[in-house]
Amino acid sequence: MSGNIQVILPLASLTGGAFILYLIARLVTGRNELLAFFTALVFAVALGTLLPLFAMTGPEQASAPTWGYLESGGALTGAFLRPDPGGLIVAGVALGLGILVALYSGRYLALDHRYRLYYPLLLLLVAGSMGMLMAADLFNLYMFCELMSVAAYVLVAFRRRTDTSIEAGFKYLIMGSVGTVIMLLGISFIYRETGTLALPAPSSTGGTLGTWTRAGLACLLVGLSVKSAIVPLHTWLPDAQNRAPSSIAAMLSGVIDQSALYVLIKIALGLGWSGYRLGTWLILFSFLNMTLGNLLALVQTYTKRLLGYSTIAQIGYIMLSMGVGLRYQSREAIQAALFLLIAHAAMKGLAFLSKGVCHFYCGTSTVYELRGTAVQAPLVAATFSIALAGLAGVPPLAGFASKWFVVGGILQAADTFSYVVLTVFLLNSLIALGYYLPLIGTLFMRETSRDLPRIRVSPWMTVPLVIMGAMVLAIGLYPEMLLGWTTDVAPYLLMLGG
Amino acid sequence: MTLETIWLMIILAAPLAASLVLVLLRDRLKYAAGWIAGLSAALSLGGALALLPALYRGQIPVLGLRWVPAAHIRLVLHVDWLTFPFLITETGVTLVAVVYAWGYHHPDENTPYFYALLLLFALGMSGTTLADDMFLFYIFWELMLLASCALIAVWGDGERRGAVALKYFIFTHMGSLLVLVGLLVLYDATGSDSFSVLREGVTLAPGLVTLVTTLFLIGFSVKMAVFPVHLWLPDAHTVAPMPVTIMLAAAMLSMGTYGILRFPLSIFSIEQMAPFAVPMMIAGVVSEIYGALMALAEEDIKRIIAYSSVSQMGYILFGLGTLNHDGIAGATLHVVYHATVKALLFMCAGLVIRATGRRRIDKLGGLGRALPLVAVCTGVGALAIAGSPPFSIFNSEWMIFAGGFHTAHIGLSILTLLGSLLTVAYALWFVGRIFFGNRPEGLTVGSLPWAMMAPTVLLTALTFIEGIYPAPVFNWVTHELALILGGI
Repeated sequence: MSGNIQVILPLASLTGGAFILYLIARLVTGRNELLAFFTALVFAVALGTLLPLFAMTGPEQASAPTWGYLESGGALTGAFLRPDPGGLIVAGVALGLGILVALYSGRYLALDHRYRLYYPLLLLLVAGSMGMLMAADLFNLYMFCELMSVAAYVLVAFRRRTDTSIEAGFKYLIMGSVGTVIMLLGISFIYRETGTLALPAPSSTGGTLGTWTRAGLACLLVGLSVKSAIVPLHTWLPDAQNRAPSSIAAMLSGVIDQSALYVLIKIALGLGWSGYRLGTWLILFSFLNMTLGNLLALVQTYTKRLLGYSTIAQIGYIMLSMGVGLRYQSREAIQAALFLLIAHAAMKGLAFLSKGVCHFYCGTSTVYELRGTAVQAPLVAATFSIALAGLAGVPPLAGFASKWFVVGGILQAADTFSYVVLTVFLLNSLIALGYYLPLIGTLFMRETSRDLPRIRVSPWMTVPLVIMGAMVLAIGLYPEMLLGWTTDVAPYLLMLGG
Repeated sequence: MTLETIWLMIILAAPLAASLVLVLLRDRLKYAAGWIAGLSAALSLGGALALLPALYRGQIPVLGLRWVPAAHIRLVLHVDWLTFPFLITETGVTLVAVVYAWGYHHPDENTPYFYALLLLFALGMSGTTLADDMFLFYIFWELMLLASCALIAVWGDGERRGAVALKYFIFTHMGSLLVLVGLLVLYDATGSDSFSVLREGVTLAPGLVTLVTTLFLIGFSVKMAVFPVHLWLPDAHTVAPMPVTIMLAAAMLSMGTYGILRFPLSIFSIEQMAPFAVPMMIAGVVSEIYGALMALAEEDIKRIIAYSSVSQMGYILFGLGTLNHDGIAGATLHVVYHATVKALLFMCAGLVIRATGRRRIDKLGGLGRALPLVAVCTGVGALAIAGSPPFSIFNSEWMIFAGGFHTAHIGLSILTLLGSLLTVAYALWFVGRIFFGNRPEGLTVGSLPWAMMAPTVLLTALTFIEGIYPAPVFNWVTHELALILGGI
């Protein structure tokens, strides 16, 4: 094993951190706040080691830093980790969200106990997602995907005393495992024909795909579609997000879905699909995701379930923008997709964490019960509203800037199909108002029948909420920086797609 | 940084700073909130007026900053003659609405939020008129919607206020989305988001010109509340608290007109716009007659005036649709004059509701003796909206009709003229039914606060002055037309 040590550092710090944290929790201290702080620290260290990679990675994969097996001659043969610009962004988002979620858990988890399982699993979940994003061969990709998924199954069913969370975790487990098994099958098909697991496949560019490779790719796509909640394989997500602890629900939409979606795109392009073809399929499925997600969100009673369907819709927006970028070779649309991905992680994370505060202090779970939140906890009502208004695409928040870039990217294509795409997108963003706005209204509704005491929200919760709220506002007002980060992704993906 | 730039910033900074202060110091400012809001609204108006000399000297005050260089997005504010009539209207209406709110609104612990939102609403409107680039324009455009929607949802009358606010948001947001697409098509074509660059000319495929113009016209018509996209207006105007209604009806509706003048009309040539003339005129006539008929049929006095707005916006759209000097000048004059008169009428309705506690017109009557001053003010407002001399709207309607008769579509112009008879009908019926005749039994009259009376009397005087001395506003509008029609 050899290569650039910096590539392995973030992953090593997360997995090593998980191990040490478990030992600390077992042997030294069981205090939730301390463990939360250590976890946040591990995430921060991982993020710190990840940042230098951004500078080293450009659109040209040949010059990218790698980590892999050493042949006798001393040359690297099969690379096992090779970061790419887009994967690094998604991984960075996962780590950033991880820091805030860990801090938030410092109070939020107080009622759940079993800290020594929660924090290591949280770290492993992100480690899996990061490894999957960086993996340069299908086998490691599969391994890391399993690591992420298994951690997620346990965390979704973390509140094991309630039947519903066991049910949701079980449903997720069944669907997710079928997905990963199908992936494994697909990988074996590909190996049978090509004899290599490298990603991107060496022979992929230009040539026609063999039968087995095509079948294998289809299996991989189906498996990853389950992970990224692409309709019709989305059914686990609303249940899981509704019953998982709010902190984990935030990780589901910000980390698992989005990294699986990015990996899906990377694999399909890397194994020989053209950008045009993948783009078209992404757009068509995005119609399903957006429409179904938005329509079903309209009729939800439970807040977190509603947010789950909203996640499905937002994944649809990302797919749409990515699809337009790949189909029409539009750099702007691909950048818009990455921008939306980052913004969505922040906004949806903020929404789930705000909702979690209401649940923690008042036990609310339905939308109706959220009435009077503005009286009880004005700060939480404010951050929740910022998150929801941002998701609805209201200026000047992050969601608006992404909507602006997405529409701009679609308009560049300027053919009949792109106008259809635009119409569907705009209609969907209109439907979405139908559930975001009443939810905001509910928060500010005055409650006369109940006497509502003012809640003192713990700083462990308020600090992450305020940071994320400020980020949603800052991304919307000053999108320059994020756009700058995403410049390398578009050439990389377009080159991969031929 | 010149003096003009500072005034330009004050127009926006005053309401922004005041609303921040109100929210941050909410616990201590329960009673002072109204005064702070009034002060900042006055500062805004003062800032707008202070720019007038520079405009007369032929300067265009500009404040420009880089914002998102990667996407060619800048942060630029400017005032030109097209902006100015709208800016003055909007800041002026805000000031009278805030003063009216001193009397209308009972202070409670949420009062600072109420005034803060009123100011944000005003900020959205002045920002919309001042913005010189699309991104900023759209942000202010939606801020205007958000703030007014929150005001309706929280302080509206009746149980249905949440539903009404949602309907208002979704309807007008639908219009905004069409505008957004139009803006982005232009952005894509020019590679710049600056209005000044756009004015110098855009080369678009003819099909795209049609598409963009259609998007803008429909999108801005929603804000103007032209039939059949007016459906949000009667509910929103009726449910909103009176100061908000005044700002909605008198100032916000005119933002739709501003949009049409700013985008399709000043970017594309008159030849390019020609295919849209007849549809705009027809939509105007239909809206005018429909609004007047609905006003006759309604019983709630706020709803009557609300439908009158639909009717009046019909005149404006008709005037814009004529695409000639008289018609467009008349339409812009009508924006300013309609703002005065509509604010006046809503204030009078508010006074009647405050004095009697009733708002159904069949439960009112014979109030002329008890409320003589209100009766006079309402009478002036009604005569003005009916277009009778010497009040302001007479001038603008005259010019709109003149514009209509300059076109080849004499039939439509005659229809508009006939439609204005219906306006006379509902306006006079409105005054007659409330202030004359027998007083119904049990109708008591309470006292009225000076803060509600004073702006009403002021606007009555203004309606009269605008009618007999139209020169200043007319002068502004002529300068504006030179921008649009190219120096007539």
